[in-house]
Parts: sequence; structure tokens; C-alpha cells
Amino acid sequence: MRIYNRFILTLTLAAGFINVLLAFLGQQDIQIYFIINIIAYMVITLLYVYFNPRARRALDGVSVVFFGAFLVIVAIKVMDIISGR
Amino acid sequence: MRKLLDNPYRWLGLSLCVAGAVFSPLAFFIIASMPLTAVGLSAIMLGFVCVALANARPYISPEACRLMLKTGMENTSALLEELNLRNKAVYLPSLMREGRPQALIPLSDDADLKQIRQKLPGRLLVRYGANPDDMAVAVTTAGSINIDLLENSPEPTSEGIEGAVNYILTGVLDIASAAKIISRDGLIRAEITGARLPYENVWYQRCLGSPIASIVAAVSSEALAKPVRIKEESQAKDKISVVIEVLE
Repeated sequence: MRIYNRFILTLTLAAGFINVLLAFLGQQDIQIYFIINIIAYMVITLLYVYFNPRARRALDGVSVVFFGAFLVIVAIKVMDIISGR
Repeated sequence: MRKLLDNPYRWLGLSLCVAGAVFSPLAFFIIASMPLTAVGLSAIMLGFVCVALANARPYISPEACRLMLKTGMENTSALLEELNLRNKAVYLPSLMREGRPQALIPLSDDADLKQIRQKLPGRLLVRYGANPDDMAVAVTTAGSINIDLLENSPEPTSEGIEGAVNYILTGVLDIASAAKIISRDGLIRAEITGARLPYENVWYQRCLGSPIASIVAAVSSEALAKPVRIKEESQAKDKISVVIEVLE
């Protein structure tokens, strides 16, 4: 199996596993699902060290977008805690 | 539009993004199910990844690459046949050639290439020893060219060579699934699984090895900064086993 296909399959299985596990645990906060999916994506992307430089750059771009979304969610949560809501 | 969707990864990515963008709001506002909304978000994330990978695919088609590889191999093969050279090539690191690793095919059968110590001139026909018969043909191989793709020089350990070989074969060229390297007693044993460029019993490959073996030999030579020779090469289904001898 080619490295791109293996990477996409790994991400799909990880996302499926995380979503099923959180649903099984009764999680009802969509932000938690999103954050854990982003963390899984970043870990799996880091583990695939043999990508060619072009693929690595493209995935780094996607990582920046996801990390930005991750920071926004964390900032909202922190503001909620500080404001006592 | 047709060109945009020619790439299967882009097609898959856009489909996942559209499906996720439609399904997530439905799951959130109408079904009011967080797990299903998360599935939609995961689909969008996977879609982004697929589109990013689609843009990272090579510009040149695999058929064009195969054509160029075959042309180069046939030209070198014609030269070897004309000179009636049957000896196994010795892969030299870049520090022994002028900046690029190359393979040396000795003209005489009883050549002792272990005596090469100094830098050789960057010519097609080179003299590597003191005797008049110590002549060899220096050629550039698939492995020699691919060394340029490495960002850093590989470390002179099994792990260093394995990392560099995996990077080239699976990450950059995508012609194998994985490579395992074991270095012991002056021999480097490589097992390449999922190889998509098979070994062919032709003149060129009998001298220089298959393109995959050539890459392993060139990386090993560069990592150890020593000449190496492909001692054995065999293939069973999609698994190639290569034994490389390090010339101390």
C-alpha cells in the first residue's frame, strides 16, 4: 500500500475510533471531539516522517489551520473560565 | 474542471469536504447529535488532508518517469555490452568522485578495487590503480542521482541508512512500502517490501543491480564514506533482498 493511502487510512481509523470512544463515554461537547481529533491528526502526521518535502509542506499548511482552530477553541474555553460562565 | 478532478486524492478530498459540510449542520441542528456532528467534522478534516496530498503529487506522470529510466538504462546497457563488461559495479561515495556518488565497473575481471583510496577524476574512463589494467568505467546510476534528494548526509549506522533508504524509497519515490537494513561484519543486508520496480535478469542489472538495490548501495556508500558492492540480489514476490559488501 502506498504511503499516502496508508496515511489517509490511519487518519480515518483514528478519527473513527476517537469518535466512537467519546460517544460511548457519553461526551456531548463538540469542542472536545474537535480538539482530540486535531491532536490525533498532529501526532499521526508527525509519525509519518518519510513524506517527501512537498507533501510535508502541504501537510504543515493543513496543520497550521487546524492548530489555529485548536487555539481559538482553547481561548474561548479560557475566557469562559475567567469570566466564570 | 475535468483537470481539477483528475487526481483521485483531490476528488476524494472535495467529496469528503462537501459531505462533511452538508452533514455536520444537519447532525447538529436537526438530529442534535454531537457524535454525528463530530463524524461530519472528521470528514471535513480528512478532506483537507486529501486535497493537500493531491497538490503534493509529482508533476511528471509515472509513465514518463519509467520512459526516462528505461532510456538511461538501455544506453548504459549498450555501453556495457559493447565493452563486454560483466563485473559487479563498485559504488563510490561522493567524496571519492567529483561531488556525486557514482558506480565504477572495472574493465578487468581480477580487479582489486579495495586499493582505491584517493579521489578519482570525474571522467567516463578512470584509472583507479597503478597497473595499466586498473581501468574502469564510471557511470551514474539511479542511486547516485537520488542522493541529492536527501536533506542531510545519512549517519553511518544501520538506523541512519535505513532512515535515508526509507525516505527515498517510500516517501519521495513511492516505489516500495518499507525497507529494513541490518549491518554486520562488513555486510549490509537490506529487505525491501512492497517493491514496485522488480529485479530483471538483464545485463545492466547484473552489473549495477536493480534501481532499488542501486539506491540502497549508493546510500550505504555515502553513509559509510566507503566503496560498496552489491554482492547478492534476489526477489520473492514483492520483496527484494539485497546483500551489500563494504570494501574496507
